[in-house]
Amino acid sequence: MATMNNQDSNNSNNRTAAPPTNASKQPLPTPKAVDTQSVLKRLQSELMALMMSGDSGISAFPEEDNIFCWKGTISGSKDTVFEGTEYKLSLSFPNDYPFKPPKVKFETGCFHPNVDVFGNICLDILQDKWSSAYDVRTILISIQSLLGEPNTSSPLNTQAAALWSNQEEYRKMVVEKHLYKKPNH
Amino acid sequence: MNQPLKEGRTRQSSFRVIYPPMGYDSIPIAASNAKEFGKKKRVNRAAKLKQSKLDVRREQWLSQVKNKGCKEETNGVSGVKMPAERNDINPSGEENEGLRNLCSDSESPFNSPMSSVFGSNRSPSHFTSNSSSSSSSGGCCSESMTEEDDGDNECLDDWEAIADALAADDIKNDNLESPEPDSVTATMEASQDDCCARAWRADDVFRPQSLPNLLKQNSFPCFKNVCSPSTCPICCEDLDLTDTSFLPCPCGYRLCLFCHKRILEDDGRCPGCRKQYDHHGPGNLSSKMGRSYSMIPRR
Repeated sequence: MATMNNQDSNNSNNRTAAPPTNASKQPLPTPKAVDTQSVLKRLQSELMALMMSGDSGISAFPEEDNIFCWKGTISGSKDTVFEGTEYKLSLSFPNDYPFKPPKVKFETGCFHPNVDVFGNICLDILQDKWSSAYDVRTILISIQSLLGEPNTSSPLNTQAAALWSNQEEYRKMVVEKHLYKKPNH
Repeated sequence: MNQPLKEGRTRQSSFRVIYPPMGYDSIPIAASNAKEFGKKKRVNRAAKLKQSKLDVRREQWLSQVKNKGCKEETNGVSGVKMPAERNDINPSGEENEGLRNLCSDSESPFNSPMSSVFGSNRSPSHFTSNSSSSSSSGGCCSESMTEEDDGDNECLDDWEAIADALAADDIKNDNLESPEPDSVTATMEASQDDCCARAWRADDVFRPQSLPNLLKQNSFPCFKNVCSPSTCPICCEDLDLTDTSFLPCPCGYRLCLFCHKRILEDDGRCPGCRKQYDHHGPGNLSSKMGRSYSMIPRR
């Protein structure tokens, strides 16, 4: 009990000691605000660049009220089993973007070795190989090319990975799932 | 002596008619604000030089003079501001005469070499009348005395500012003219397609340097030599002169000093090639610019 009391008093000491340090560190929030500002600027210029680029097969736009959350679409590349299909994705940007990658998920179900049933994507540039030089456009292009060239050695969807070697069957599966999913959107 | 004085008088009187409605106080503040704004991006050396030289009064004074080149109204300001002091000192009937002397005097050194001569000729008589009236005129006197040898520095400063602006414009124009958008983005896209299938899987950090370098140069062509960007690719802020001469990585990827510092605090890898900023391969060093880097490039 005595030790408890001691701890309590220690805590209270800490608490009383805390406010002055907080007060002295008050300038800290300002750099954060500036950071958010620069993230905004970066995202806005990315949006501009993306709209001006006119890339076929990829698009993205912020949600109505939040520029930190985007919805994107990619369409399957020609001459792949995903040709003719279209997928919706969500991108959510952290406050320290572009130093940290955005969280990207498939909103449309995607039968792919590197995409799990929840739409999570296993793509190294969205994790440890992220570089602040990437942007929404390069992410979407990368995901688009990932569709046609999966990494079957470390799959999230083992069924898809196993089926990948049989492209005809795989195509059937993709079309079937996509047609099945499409009316939902 | 009389002739130019009259000229100054008439010229100044026209200013007086136009500008007195503006408050004495508000204009110098605006002027100094404008000065601060212009000063912000200027080279440090000039700023230091200036700061060491200026006291509060002269700063006010010089800010009016500096803006004179772009805004006519500050002529009026310098003409109007001085009489305000003058009114306190010498409310006699002679006031207007002295006022006009002062006005044309304050203006003269910067209008033409001719008038600057007259200004310096006229000033002694003017200051004697001033110093007799009050002690505050001492400040006024020193102002005008230093004003002339300061004129050159001011000009120099302005020229530096203009040169900066011109250089910035040139850079922008170059970037506009460079054929960045279509061809480059097309190749970038194409190489991106190649890259993400293979390049990201292997540990490119430990790969032989020649191999990934080729790929990466292709994947970021616009950072290499096509153009130097006018904005930081990371934060999208404009690059200033220091930033544009800053080449932290031999891969040629440019970014602003703030983002570079930020990355150094984080994982310290170049966004363009993902190599550590600290240890570059030997032989790549020569591509670094010695100016912003303390390391000596190897030959």
